Formats: sequence, structure tokens, C-alpha cells
Amino acid sequence: MSKDKDHDHGAHKAAPMVEEVSMFEILETAVRELAIEKGLFSADDHRRWVEYVHTLGPLPAARLVAKAWLDPEYKKLAIEDGVKASLEVGVDWINDMPTHFGTPSDYCNLRVMADTPTLKHVVVCTLCSCYPRPILGQSPEWYRTPNYRRRLVRWPRQVLAEFGLILPPEVNVRVVDSNQKTRYIVLPVRPEGTEGWTEDQLAEIVTRDCLIGVAMPKPGTTSNVKLPVRKAVNPVEHGHH
Amino acid sequence: MVNSDDDPDLQKLQLDTSPIPLLQKIKTEGRVWGDLAQQYGVTNPDPPWKANVEGICDALAEENCALPALERRWEEDELSETLFSDMPFPERQLLSLAHSMIKRGLFNEEELQSRMKVVEHRLNA
Repeated sequence: MSKDKDHDHGAHKAAPMVEEVSMFEILETAVRELAIEKGLFSADDHRRWVEYVHTLGPLPAARLVAKAWLDPEYKKLAIEDGVKASLEVGVDWINDMPTHFGTPSDYCNLRVMADTPTLKHVVVCTLCSCYPRPILGQSPEWYRTPNYRRRLVRWPRQVLAEFGLILPPEVNVRVVDSNQKTRYIVLPVRPEGTEGWTEDQLAEIVTRDCLIGVAMPKPGTTSNVKLPVRKAVNPVEHGHH
Repeated sequence: MVNSDDDPDLQKLQLDTSPIPLLQKIKTEGRVWGDLAQQYGVTNPDPPWKANVEGICDALAEENCALPALERRWEEDELSETLFSDMPFPERQLLSLAHSMIKRGLFNEEELQSRMKVVEHRLNA
């Protein structure tokens, strides 16, 4: 890193870096190298997955919602055929996967769940945390926790309240449970105060939390809730009943 | 929602959460990303190896299905509430992944320890 004292290099300073190698970094590398040597997957397979994951983020889903708000015909398409609607935001559920082919963990079916003023959808995967990655990116940590997965289906209003979303009694809550083949995103109600907005402006307020259904879009709110991960007070065993 | 009572395969799933000494050592002695980032003033919320871990999980669930996603996630859930409950994510995810792979015989603890020594030497050279 340059330490030139005579010139202002503030704008060009190298970003700070972690200057030591952690045991976790060593562990990850060792696990990956052993897996490749054992033939569990190839280095090329792994690279394709990592590169694919890096291309993913919540913007396509946000754009799908923004488009649906602006175009009633597109909204109709999104509700009837989420996979076809996804093509218009650059996501091809059938062909974009690294394998370009069905696999045991393949998922090709996106369903877009449209909220109404009296119906709020929220997404979960109770079994393991399936998530619509191709259109929404990687899931947040809280989505993966048993605390969220087990409690949302039983006490949805209480769990939503923990995200700061308090719903009046006249609004019904519908929890949709993802699975191996079908993934969901929520198409929230367009909020007031967005009249005349462009697609870009609208997409900006459709956050990942809105698309999962634990938040509602608001003018001026463009970030997700920072939620501490809580352990379940009374963990439910895996022997579900 | 799938109920284990309806699925005989899920009923047979025996999750072995007995500790593996090497992973316990890493858990105890390893420095987590949150601490490292704070010390060095790095603002990236995720360690650089996180994407690699996700890639390993995807790759293992894909071709030969050496470690199916559902089994891995169930085991990760159990371990997150037991052995690795006090670890942050994604260190918890990585430790759980290594645990699952060892318990399934994909490699053993000695092989992992030996490889870690080689990698450590290489990365610190």
C-alpha cells in the first residue's frame, strides 16, 4: 500500500484487507480439494456454481414486481406463468442453471403470489430453506433458521411483527411453503406515494424482504431489516407431528 | 409440508451429531470472520470463502448426489442447535458441511487434518 506523504492519495487508498489466514479459510480449501480428489465433483463444476451464484441477486425479482405494477397485462402473466414472466427480467428458470438439465435438486417452477389489500403472502421453506435463488439471489441467514421456518407456519402474525410488520385483523395471511420443485416470490401491493414513478424507482423500494413477504414496500425504504438471529426458546425436534 | 411419518426414507435418516475432534479444535481456536473483519477494518459482511462453501454444497447435491441438499440441511440444523450453536454463520455452515462429509465417509478426519496442514503451509508461504 502506498504511503506517499506528499500527495493526497485518500481517494486511491487500497481497501483494508484481512492480513491473516484463518483456520476456516484453510478448512474450506482443504474440504474442496479433498472433494475434488475423491471425484465428488470437478474443479470445473465447482467453478461454474460459484460463478453462477455470483451472478445472482434480488434485482430481477424487484424488476418483475415493478413491471407488474406498471403493466396490468404483465402482472396477469406473472401470476399465471411466473417462469415466462421471469424471462422478461432476464431469468430463464429452465436453461440458466449451470447444469442446463434436470437434477435431483432441480427447481424450475416459480410462482408469483400477488398480495391484495386484504391478503398478505409470506414465503418459507419449512423443510430446509429452499429459496428462489435464480431471481432473488442468496437467502438471508434468518430465512434458513429453524426459528423462522418452524414458527412462521404456526404463528405468522407474531413472526411478521418481529420484522416490524404489524397487519390489521382484516388482512388475511397466507404462508406459502416452498419445496424442491416450486419456489415463490411475493408481488406486494403497490404503495401510495409512488404515482408517476419509473420502473427503476419502483424496483428500488422492492427489497428482498418485500419479495419474501416479511416487509411491505414504502417510498424511501430501500434496504432490508437488520435482524438478529434468535435461537428458538423451545426448539421443536425433527420428529415433526 | 413433508412429515417424516409419511416418508420412510426420512425416518431412516440417522443424524450423527457426535463431535469430531478436529472440527471441535477449529471451532475453539479458529478466528471467525466477524472478529477478523473488525480487527482489520474490513466492511465486507461475508468472508471470501463463503461463496466457495455454497458452491461445494451445490456441487455435492448435483452430479453424483454425494450429499443431498435436504440431508445436509437437516444435519446443519441439528448441529446449529448443538455442537456449533455458538458459532456464527457461515462458519457454522462450513463446520456442519465438513461434519456431514466426514460422517458419510466422503473423506476421514485424518485426511482432512493432513490436507489442512498442506494448505496452511501453502497459504502462509
